[in-house]
Amino acid sequence: MTLEFKLPDIGEGTAEGEIVKWLVSVGDTVAEHQPVVEVMTDKATVEIPAPAPGRIVSFLAEEGETVPVGSVIFHLDTDSAGDPAPAEAAGGESARTQAAHTPVAVVAGPSGDSGVVAPARKPTGRTLAVPSARRVARELGVDLSQVVGSGRNGIVRRVDVEQMAKAGAGEQVAQSCATASGAASGAGDQRIPFRGVRRKIAEAMSRSVYTIPHFTVVEEVDITDLVTVRTKAKALGEEQGIKVTFMPFIMKAVALGLARHPMLNGHLDEEAGEIVQRGDVNLGIATDTPNGLIVPVVRGVQSQTVMQLAGQLGELAERTRAGRVKAEELRDSTFSITNAGAIGGTLATPIINFPDIAILGVHRIVKRPGVVETPEGDKIEVRQYMNFSLSVDHRLADGADGARFLAYLRQLLEAPGLLAL
Amino acid sequence: MTPISPPEPFTVTTLEGAAAGHDPGLQPDELIHAYRTLLTVRAFDEVCMKLQRSGRIGFSIPNRGIEAVSVGAASALDKSDWIFPSYRDFGMALYHGVRPLEMMHNMFGNGADAAKGRQMSVHFSFVEPLHFVSISSPIGTHLPQAVGAARAFQMRGEDRVCLASFGDGGTSSLGFHSALNFAGVWRAPVIFLCQNNGWAISCPSAKQTASESYAVKAQAYGIEGVLVEGNDLLAVREATRQAVERARSGGGATLIEARTYRMGGHSTSDDPKRYVPAAELEAWECKDPVRWFERYLAGVELWDEGLRERLEAEVMAEVDGAAKEAEQTPAPGLETIFSDVYRDLPTHLRRQGQESFEMAQRLGDPAAGDGAFPL
Repeated sequence: MTLEFKLPDIGEGTAEGEIVKWLVSVGDTVAEHQPVVEVMTDKATVEIPAPAPGRIVSFLAEEGETVPVGSVIFHLDTDSAGDPAPAEAAGGESARTQAAHTPVAVVAGPSGDSGVVAPARKPTGRTLAVPSARRVARELGVDLSQVVGSGRNGIVRRVDVEQMAKAGAGEQVAQSCATASGAASGAGDQRIPFRGVRRKIAEAMSRSVYTIPHFTVVEEVDITDLVTVRTKAKALGEEQGIKVTFMPFIMKAVALGLARHPMLNGHLDEEAGEIVQRGDVNLGIATDTPNGLIVPVVRGVQSQTVMQLAGQLGELAERTRAGRVKAEELRDSTFSITNAGAIGGTLATPIINFPDIAILGVHRIVKRPGVVETPEGDKIEVRQYMNFSLSVDHRLADGADGARFLAYLRQLLEAPGLLAL
Repeated sequence: MTPISPPEPFTVTTLEGAAAGHDPGLQPDELIHAYRTLLTVRAFDEVCMKLQRSGRIGFSIPNRGIEAVSVGAASALDKSDWIFPSYRDFGMALYHGVRPLEMMHNMFGNGADAAKGRQMSVHFSFVEPLHFVSISSPIGTHLPQAVGAARAFQMRGEDRVCLASFGDGGTSSLGFHSALNFAGVWRAPVIFLCQNNGWAISCPSAKQTASESYAVKAQAYGIEGVLVEGNDLLAVREATRQAVERARSGGGATLIEARTYRMGGHSTSDDPKRYVPAAELEAWECKDPVRWFERYLAGVELWDEGLRERLEAEVMAEVDGAAKEAEQTPAPGLETIFSDVYRDLPTHLRRQGQESFEMAQRLGDPAAGDGAFPL
């Protein structure tokens, strides 16, 4: 018999748990009470043991994934306790395939691979519904098994039944599905599970935007001289095997700017009711990776040279893209920089990397005719420009603070010799 | 005002297990029974934790570290006495002959449960073979009840006493004051056993009171106060024995503070690693009450490693078997929702009952839980 293990409510009212680590592998034989998976809830991180002896048939959730309480997280074959794992006997047939062959009574749960929300059913075929929903369904003559539940674990609520009854008889199912999922479905549509890194990013962004009143100020910087300096630095860097981009210069300028405007370097400690101004400048560098946006942190920027920063940045970016960055390297930024310059866009409204106070957006370099003041009078020259967008937490800093910081940054970057000061 | 300095906790055995001629007043088989009870509490805890983590029961409360308090105190009571327990006291029931199976029925809330599945897990109540009043979740509410019962025994001229157990957090409850006050006024035959295990969930004792001890609070109510080493089973037994004697002989109430340490979480719902200092836990580890009692038993030549292994296997098999049986035992009948409150069921409830039976017949049995907390 295949037993579906549903994530239990391990702490009096927890709603979901994050799969921290699977402690056994698919195909393993486990004893009753043997720890199978480590799960983190709001309250505690605990080991979940096997409810019966058997063989692990499949995992339905990945490490790092957050799943609601009540969703099936693994399948346990309780007939094969103590037997050699059939996967091995069959000559290495993959565990996933095994899982597909094993009859399972329940349609995809909240964490099922299909990602489709199906009506919640007990193995007996009965629909899960709250008592008032059953009563209303009887009164209105609605077939409960056709109703898609919007409650926990897909349980049918009274409002689901009422909505179903309101919808026309012919389009009942579609209408109700649409209500439950929030959008209609067409032939070419794809449904992608919203979880993992994507979900973490979503949570971080929402928290930032809903907590922090952002204001953004944009400045155009003439970086013609910086381009010259960087070209020379690039050649120097190559001798040492270091790739020198514009970013380390910008980081250096930001560190100098923050020394002058410390109110932009730190975070708000709401619990203590204090604004924390940090002594160190730890710059979070927003990096585009195949898995989504990751923000590794370069520490102690104020005491490093441009070349040192370039070296560190190259190494960190490479590890971040390869997914080998450690969790602690993603924490404790005091200010962040996001670079969309290589992709495009004239300006942006960057979202602050919560709980930082500010974030700097760096944009692409463009060549344009510019007016240059010379002793002989104004001249038109081909100049190179770069736009900078600065978003600031308006609770902690005023518009003028942001504008002054950005103006100083411009001053430094237009005359890059000043970075040595 | 002269400050009252608390004495060091009263002990009977040294940490090495020597009792220096103290007569525990227990026969060898009774001592082994007390030891076996300690091991049963541990086995019960261990199995319940696994059952809860795999969603087979909803809730559990671990006892690790405080076992000697409940077992020691229970050993000084007669079966005719009444216990108003706290939720870390089921060792008292086990000591007086309750079987792990009866407790497991409660953990699963099944039809064989004494409360017919109408109480929360761990909230045991037993009528036989002892008077073990239902454990109540609200803090300190059972203390005035214990005093009331003791007052009743006193008025009827019965020879019984009441023991009310509670944690250090319980001393901050209103019930604590009312109970101790009237116990003092009436010289009621009641023993207040404060199981000071260092923590009220995540609140440390240091934040619970400005008094130098909990025992010292007895003075304000005109009753006896005793501070005892809670991990020394024989010391708890001796302190309780003296308090019971005082109560039976008309000497009134006693507040016993048994100083111990909770070596696990408050319940299955919290994470002690987040608030219990590791060093503090380690310091108490060497005072583990079970190991301590083993050293005493070894000193009087009743114990060796072999005995521990044998008894551990025995109680684990019993607890494990109890879990399997309780899990297989059917849920309480639908009628239990309506029974045991009124002698004659009022019409509106009878009608409701009839409707639910009819619905159950039409729809089949109500589905079992879906992994959610059973409350």
